[in-house]
Amino acid sequence: MTTFVEGTAPVTDNPPEGPRRGGRPGRAKRIVQYAVLIVLTILFLSPLIYMAVTSFKTQADAISPEPQWIPANPTTSAYDVMLGSDDTPVLRWAFNSVLAATAQALLVVATAALAAYALARMDFRGKRLIFGTIVATLFVPAVILIIPNYIIISEFAWLDSLTAVIVPGAASAFGVFFLRQFFTSLPEELEEAAYVDGAGPFRIFWSVVLPLSKPALATLALLAFLTNWNDFLWPLYVLFSAEQQTLPAGLATLQNANAVRYDLLMAGAMIAALPVLLLYLAAQRFVIEGVSRTGLKG
Amino acid sequence: MTASPSPFSRRNFLGLSAAVGAAGLTAACGGGTSGPPGTEGGGGGGGEFTGEYTGPNVTLQFWNGFTGGDGPFMKKMVDEFNTAHPNIKVTMTTIRWQDYYQKVPAAVVSGQGPDVGIAHQDNLATLAARRSILPLDDIATELKLEESDFIPAVWKGGIYQDKRYGIPLDVHSLGQYWNTDQLTKAGLQAPPANKEEFDQAVSKMKSGGLQNPFWMPSLWPAHLIFYSLIWQNGGTPYSEDGQSATFNSAEGVEALTWMVDQIKNGVSPRNVAIDTQYNAFKSGRNAGTFDGIWQINDLKATAPKLKWALAPVPQIFDQPAVWSNGHNFVLMSQKKADDNKLQASKIFINEISEKSAEWAKSGMVPARNAAREDASFASQTQASVVKNVDIFRFLPSVPGIGDVGFQGIEQAVNKATLLQQEPKQALDTAAGVANKLLEENRKKFGG
Amino acid sequence: MATVETLPTGQDTLQPVRREGGKRTSRYGGGWVPYLFLLPYLALFTTFVLVPIVLGIWISLHTWDFTLPRKPWAGLGNYKDLFDSSSVVGPDFIRAMKATAIFTVASVPLLVVIPLAVALLMNAKFPGRNLFRAVYFAPYVLGVAVIGVLWRYLLDNNVGLVNNYLGKIGLPDDIAWTTSTPAAWVALVGVTVWWTLGFNAVIYLAGLQDIAPELYEAAKIDGANGWQRFRNVTLPGLRPVLMFVVITTIIASANMFGQSYLITQGAPGNETRTAIYYIADTGLKNFDMGRAAAMSFVLTVCLLLLSAVVMLAFRERKPKGLAS
Repeated sequence: MTTFVEGTAPVTDNPPEGPRRGGRPGRAKRIVQYAVLIVLTILFLSPLIYMAVTSFKTQADAISPEPQWIPANPTTSAYDVMLGSDDTPVLRWAFNSVLAATAQALLVVATAALAAYALARMDFRGKRLIFGTIVATLFVPAVILIIPNYIIISEFAWLDSLTAVIVPGAASAFGVFFLRQFFTSLPEELEEAAYVDGAGPFRIFWSVVLPLSKPALATLALLAFLTNWNDFLWPLYVLFSAEQQTLPAGLATLQNANAVRYDLLMAGAMIAALPVLLLYLAAQRFVIEGVSRTGLKG
Repeated sequence: MTASPSPFSRRNFLGLSAAVGAAGLTAACGGGTSGPPGTEGGGGGGGEFTGEYTGPNVTLQFWNGFTGGDGPFMKKMVDEFNTAHPNIKVTMTTIRWQDYYQKVPAAVVSGQGPDVGIAHQDNLATLAARRSILPLDDIATELKLEESDFIPAVWKGGIYQDKRYGIPLDVHSLGQYWNTDQLTKAGLQAPPANKEEFDQAVSKMKSGGLQNPFWMPSLWPAHLIFYSLIWQNGGTPYSEDGQSATFNSAEGVEALTWMVDQIKNGVSPRNVAIDTQYNAFKSGRNAGTFDGIWQINDLKATAPKLKWALAPVPQIFDQPAVWSNGHNFVLMSQKKADDNKLQASKIFINEISEKSAEWAKSGMVPARNAAREDASFASQTQASVVKNVDIFRFLPSVPGIGDVGFQGIEQAVNKATLLQQEPKQALDTAAGVANKLLEENRKKFGG
Repeated sequence: MATVETLPTGQDTLQPVRREGGKRTSRYGGGWVPYLFLLPYLALFTTFVLVPIVLGIWISLHTWDFTLPRKPWAGLGNYKDLFDSSSVVGPDFIRAMKATAIFTVASVPLLVVIPLAVALLMNAKFPGRNLFRAVYFAPYVLGVAVIGVLWRYLLDNNVGLVNNYLGKIGLPDDIAWTTSTPAAWVALVGVTVWWTLGFNAVIYLAGLQDIAPELYEAAKIDGANGWQRFRNVTLPGLRPVLMFVVITTIIASANMFGQSYLITQGAPGNETRTAIYYIADTGLKNFDMGRAAAMSFVLTVCLLLLSAVVMLAFRERKPKGLAS
């Protein structure tokens, strides 16, 4: 049974504190623990800091043999180029990514919730078949869908449009499975009560079930958002012109075969990373908790 | 039990799904409703070519790969064209070249391709075989273009299966760039013109303290250097008809060996990663590099303090020769022919290709003789590589030659320059791969 | 990915209300209502999952070039070509599968173990803990493109940070991280671990916190030391989470594309070109879709087998009387 715990649960006052360590935390152990964590932090943060710093270097400084943690000639020229060039509308890419990820997340949640509710609470012919088929595709790797979907998208003339990045991946078998689990775990009394009051199925779904399911819906939406945001291969091949690119695909086009410019590359990466990082810092607890719930299949 | 009168009984539902599925299947089976584009000719309709467009307002989609320093020059010409022709609006889209040849055919198949485009000469055959572009013999006639107007090899290079698919815009080749301060320091007035001078130059620079005066790349443009050398040596990368690989001949092995020797003898460092030789040139860590003339504007813009000179690649072997390619105008296949757009496209192509002297500012060599012989061209940096147009060599017009090169020669040059394989072995293996691919392409595209 | 073994058995829907005539309805929707609910999802599902699977099989049985009109029947020819070392694609396909295998074998153990260690470290409440958690999860949020581009720079042979600092501590400073093997593999695995460690660690952390502390107390009372508690309390308690992490990590590693595309471009030669990269190259760049579809099915079958093996391995051990 999945248990949804609101908020984090670091509540135990007798924490197991890593069974490896054993016993109460001695000072030495604490120091070692912090030392490891600090090393980890350095390993994680320093590349990101270097990326930020390099985005303010001149091209020459970016390829200087001695790495500069403080630019010798700080400049915003890389940003000027990236933001001003028609070939690389980075802000437009960011916008496209946000649009695509949000749209797909909404589509995923909407379609999966409706389907999951029917599978959880209703009885009808073909139910086993349908559910079985959906579950079966959970194990089918996405790779076999790439080529045929490309053809289908081409037939629909969706190439080079955000629709191609939003719609095909919106059928989430995982979403249906996940939400169905959740719906069946809800006590039926509330739905019963609504039924007795004369509410029809959609009403019950909309007014009773959905509000109760906010954590699950939010988790699914978040996962769908992240998955679409990070999608790289598909947008790389179905999007053509500069204005239609999403961030990952657009960034990849910066690696020009003839002249790799690290200062521009880092500036582009920064523009791509900054909004996400800020959003993440703001919603960090929510994001992390949402992700952590996916592993809990009670 | 199907007593339910509802249209959504299971049987009907499954039927619906099957119908959708079948529709998907048949659509795909029939090669797509896109039909076989490219059967239309270049449209010789509409009387005498006057250079004037008198039809209704029309928008042309123009795709090219000018994402580097050359982009702004083309954009400027496009803007000027738009101003001069109020009833034609040309929208330019740039897609970097390595993605361009994947996206163009896909877009055309899906009916979302552009109207006009630029294509490299060595890709014309592939695009034509994939039915992405239309023959434009009629346009060439209408615009009164003939071989005598162009460099012969370039003019002829636009033909595939006896039809013309490209109107040449420019030629670009490999050149050698040298740091003039380093040259002076080594007591030289000009970049080396042949093998002896090259050896002399690098050894003087080495003894003058520059550890690696010349960096041999292992990826782009290493195979272009190889092509140049094998042609110089009297060999050819492919047979005349482009049907078999001949780069593993003795001449080819010698060519690749010369390249590898620069690494083995310490002139160049090992494992030169992509672009690093060019970046090293810009930052003064080496003294010379071979690269395309398309780098001219990038050098001027991003290494303004560097003093450099451009010259034709040194003649290491018997003949002067250099790998070259060229940009051509092409007309894209459409699901539905639009005569107005066709007319507008012709005018666009004609005007821009006439301005190829203007285009020379991008660092390219105009394909039109008139533009090259024009006084304004002589002052361009790249004029220094054009003393003798016969040195320009081009790959044969064979569909799929790009991929054959990628899987064959490029792998061989890569392995040899990374010192992972001996030149002869690398080339022999690559020739095997290339021949297989050429054979398969023949079957696929019909020669 | 969900674990099938935890499908709730027994009552999962309301009992249908039986009426005269045997018509089956339920109080939450009878007749065509369920189908209406299912329609949006099934429309997408059919068009973009079911039809493609069938279409993919169909394509793989033809010589199918996206841009050419003729698509002649090829039977199993495409599949045969994949394993024929004298064919045009055979050697490359084997090399691509090998690349995928190398990467998966090298990365999965690290991606399963290291995040667990980090999660164990983080399992106690201590000041700054949320900050640390945010830090090591941050790379994952940035996405493969930012990471790939960044590490391409850091791993640059000549101007990259990595070689520079290696040189400073006395190790060779000219390792060709992006142009030679095995350095390229070390680089790709290293970058992947750096990038996704946080994701797995967060999932482990949630799983660890689900383990009832009383179990640890009981074990301590029984005299178990740290390692024994880990083996007998933590690991069994983490079993479903472990299985989840292992399977998802294997699948993610087998599908590795972005790192290879951005950092090594498949070099040297095609040695680091993974199977999925090769499939994309073959089908979407060279338009040889028949072969690409065949390749994707072969890869799929391998992945399915692998998943089955992993699930079997995890099912064998019976939980020692603990709720799983």
